[in-house]
Amino acid sequence: MSRTATAAATRSGDARPVRGTLAARKRQRRPLTLGRVLTYAALTLGAVVVLFPVYFGFVGSFMGPADINAYPASLWPFNGFRVENFTGALDSIPLGRQYMNSVVMAGLITLGQIVTSLLAAYALVFLKVRGRVFWFALFLCSMMVPAEAIIIPNYLTMSSAGLINTIPALVLPFLAHGFGIFLLRQAFLSFPVELWEAARIDGAGHMRFLLSVLVPLSKPTLAALGIWSFLSAWNMYFWPLLVTQTPQMQTIQIGITQLRSADNFNAGLVLAGTVLAIIPTLLLVIFGQRFIVRGLTAGSIK
Amino acid sequence: MTITKPANPPAAKASPQPDRQTDRGSLRALWYLVPALLVFALFLFYPLGRSVFLSFQGSDLFGRPSGFVGFDQYTRLFTDSGFWNVMWVTLGFTVLTVVPSIAIALALALLLHQKIRGIRFFRTAFALPFAYSVATASVIFGVMFNQATGVLNGMLAFFGLDRVGWLTDPAWALLSVSLATVWMQLGYNLLVLSAGLGAVSDDVVEAARLDGAHGWRMQRSIIMPLLTPQLFFLLVTGTIHALQSFGQIHILTKGGPQDSTTTLVYSIYEQAFANNNSNFGYASAQAVVLLIIVVAVSAIQFGVLERKVFYR
Amino acid sequence: MAAAGAAALALTLSACGGPGSAGAGDAPAADALENADGVTVVNFWHSMDGTNGETLNKLITDFNAANEGKIEVKGVYQGDYDTTITKYKAAVQSNSTPSMVQIYDIGTQFMIDSGAVMPTQTFIDRDEYDVSDLQPNIAGYYSINDELWSMPFNTSMPVMYYNKTLFEAAGLDPEKAPETLAEVGEAANKLSKTNGGPAEFGFNAAIYGWLLEQEIAANGALYCSPDNGRSGERVTDYSFNNDTAVEFVDWWKGLVETGVAGNTGRATADAQNAFKSGTIGITLESTGALGGMQKAAEEQGFELGVGFYPKIEQNDSGPIIGGASLWVSDEGHSDAEKEAAWQFMQYLAEPATQATWHTGTGYFPISKAALDEPEDVAWREQYPQFDVAVQQLEGTELTAATQGCSAGSMPQARKAAEDALEGALLGGDSKAELTESVEALKTEVENYNNSVQ
Repeated sequence: MSRTATAAATRSGDARPVRGTLAARKRQRRPLTLGRVLTYAALTLGAVVVLFPVYFGFVGSFMGPADINAYPASLWPFNGFRVENFTGALDSIPLGRQYMNSVVMAGLITLGQIVTSLLAAYALVFLKVRGRVFWFALFLCSMMVPAEAIIIPNYLTMSSAGLINTIPALVLPFLAHGFGIFLLRQAFLSFPVELWEAARIDGAGHMRFLLSVLVPLSKPTLAALGIWSFLSAWNMYFWPLLVTQTPQMQTIQIGITQLRSADNFNAGLVLAGTVLAIIPTLLLVIFGQRFIVRGLTAGSIK
Repeated sequence: MTITKPANPPAAKASPQPDRQTDRGSLRALWYLVPALLVFALFLFYPLGRSVFLSFQGSDLFGRPSGFVGFDQYTRLFTDSGFWNVMWVTLGFTVLTVVPSIAIALALALLLHQKIRGIRFFRTAFALPFAYSVATASVIFGVMFNQATGVLNGMLAFFGLDRVGWLTDPAWALLSVSLATVWMQLGYNLLVLSAGLGAVSDDVVEAARLDGAHGWRMQRSIIMPLLTPQLFFLLVTGTIHALQSFGQIHILTKGGPQDSTTTLVYSIYEQAFANNNSNFGYASAQAVVLLIIVVAVSAIQFGVLERKVFYR
Repeated sequence: MAAAGAAALALTLSACGGPGSAGAGDAPAADALENADGVTVVNFWHSMDGTNGETLNKLITDFNAANEGKIEVKGVYQGDYDTTITKYKAAVQSNSTPSMVQIYDIGTQFMIDSGAVMPTQTFIDRDEYDVSDLQPNIAGYYSINDELWSMPFNTSMPVMYYNKTLFEAAGLDPEKAPETLAEVGEAANKLSKTNGGPAEFGFNAAIYGWLLEQEIAANGALYCSPDNGRSGERVTDYSFNNDTAVEFVDWWKGLVETGVAGNTGRATADAQNAFKSGTIGITLESTGALGGMQKAAEEQGFELGVGFYPKIEQNDSGPIIGGASLWVSDEGHSDAEKEAAWQFMQYLAEPATQATWHTGTGYFPISKAALDEPEDVAWREQYPQFDVAVQQLEGTELTAATQGCSAGSMPQARKAAEDALEGALLGGDSKAELTESVEALKTEVENYNNSVQ
């Protein structure tokens, strides 16, 4: 609502909005000035432009060929809502299965990144690992390598291991990421060293200290990392395109593009597929916006 | 990964840390690094080496390395006018997506940073594109851009305007793909900038107000400088992101018409995986070029932030 | 890894030569399947989606039901033809090829050179299988040096589709399809909105290299030399910058430049959809699209007309019999599996199966007898549009030109020709664009020929 709220949410990790101060609300009731009118005009124009693809994506998903192909354009399904678009989309591709593939893939990648990052960050911060600076530099450098530059060898590796068209092929290359290690290292650095001393006096080993002390303390960072890696994986396109072959193994992102085949003359059906595919992320953005902000901007604000 | 290239925070605060090396089991500590290192070794460093190796090899019918060819692939690359076209397209795409998506997001962020009624609705509205993956957004834009039956040309007809070959006219295609990309990128940029604005202390604003700064002057001289770290971050990550874009091009234009949307990444795909090509050698040479460019851009960022992040 | 190891082991074992085993290239023993335990699975990769995919799945289900407990065919849609051949290539590298694969016409030479497949001819010779029922024009395409390498399956020819309802509105005779480029151009002019006609565009077709290949063949010219690669020598040069090609491209370009023709880009789906929406007068497409076109026409309320593929002028030549054919993988597959694949192929080639296939998809039947099946006869009476393809095929003389170019680099050549066609339609000089593409292909051809020597 107010910027205080945003600041509080981003800084402390509190997802709840803070009510505007009395003074702030008083200011809201100032008379309509020219500047204010212009602000609304600009915002409205922006909203219309930005929301049009969203609107058309939804409304078009109910259109039959007569509406969606109309020239001049038809912006509403005047010839009747065509719910069969949705059943048609579900008949054309195994959408449920592809959803599951996406969930499993993104879930495993997220889990993998959290585990590998926790361990590595712990070694960098709390353990006297030899060549600490070297390892950290290595992890930082790994972030610079664009996945597209190594996609050919990775594809060949999967291909010769006989893993093409399997979940492992989708998941394996992404089980660790320099970003996660970096993020957790920064979080661990902010904890006082006395934490470990106290734990050690209590007789805790490294693993127990990591799991029962550090993990709970790092929840906000872990959540941020989790959201970031889940969404990145969920949205992947190039890699799943290469390593999956059958509709049964494709992720939802690849699946919906397959709806555009020649016989599906009805674009409404294609749009119906996109509607089904974005529902979860759309709900997340509408209702969990504050929650999501931290995860996605984790790289920029800290 | 596709959505956002992560980067280190521009404003990581350096805080004094005591020596944390409290354990002598240095070898055992290495075990904690093993899982991550294993993944990196197999799927990052090994393929990196193999990319470079392949770029010095020819390719047989199946794309298998057919022997050392020296710098032949690179010579071919730099003497191929098609490759220079690819580089121009890549540059064009980067500029056309990064600059507008930051500028528009900045304008919207500043507008949204006011205490006015209904702001919550606008905030949600502008964040919506964020829910769309590259694939879903591209499919929707593909339907809208269709030359014969698309809604955009259908709306131009309301105004008596002629059809535009959004994706079929080389003069338009790159613009159209960029437009779709700006739309996809906008939500994220807005979130980052809004968060940055939110962090601007009320005290600073209040002090400026007392000094007589209002409206646009306040935005320009007080608030915008405080956003520099976020803007810099978006510029760097946006550039890297643009350099890696693939889905929208694959879905919307397949690099055409007349190669007007063939970016470097798309060209790699085309040489390696499309049209029964399997020119893995030639594609790998392009991959090495991509690697160098992205590392160079990242290095700029590291250069700027090195002291803040690295040695603490 | 384990799978590759097992395959290697299997190969070693078969090389040692037990009863019923065969070395690469030899036909498996006819009783290999009977001696196999349990159900033999045939993995079959194909590129049929939509209506065509549904029909194919129905055929697979029927075959599996008839062979229950013995053979199970698992059909897997792999994406379009380009994607399938690319995936097959990757599978060859990783020893994970499917038992059987559907590959487009222009991938034929590449498949032969790959060394990964078993020629269908070996089965034909072993069983003395009667090939006289196969349409000679179709079998001609897939025969290299008198050897039938793959079993033709879905064959299509290009035809001209036109919107009879729009023809009538423009004052043209809907029952008389234009036949030459000049006639088509004239009709398109009358149809198009720019000239006060009823259609958004008089003509619109996908920028698809295949259409150019067809036009060249339809006028008896060659696409590549020597002899379209049909005389036993490897192709050394492409010739799609000949006068025929230039005339065709110039004709098309003229229509685009006057606003009579639209440009929906390269995607065949987009061009089809534009026509299906009822706003385009004439389009060029494969007979394989007929089923979908018919359905859309009924839905959109216009009458569909089908005519011969237009030529520059009347002659005895005709378009190429294209489409795709079925290949059996050799290395890494058991004799029983190969035998099962061969059984499935034979089933697909039966007249009754082909009649179902023809009526369900519009693809031309490869079996001559299929046209006499009652199902087929009745269906063609109901939809006379489908007869056009039959007449067109019968009117086409089998020559090197109508067999089409057989070269390993054909997929790349099609792309290059497409680049040129697109360049010309967007304002470039037809002759110059085509020649540039032909020149650019020289290295490609050389590389290919070197790599298979």
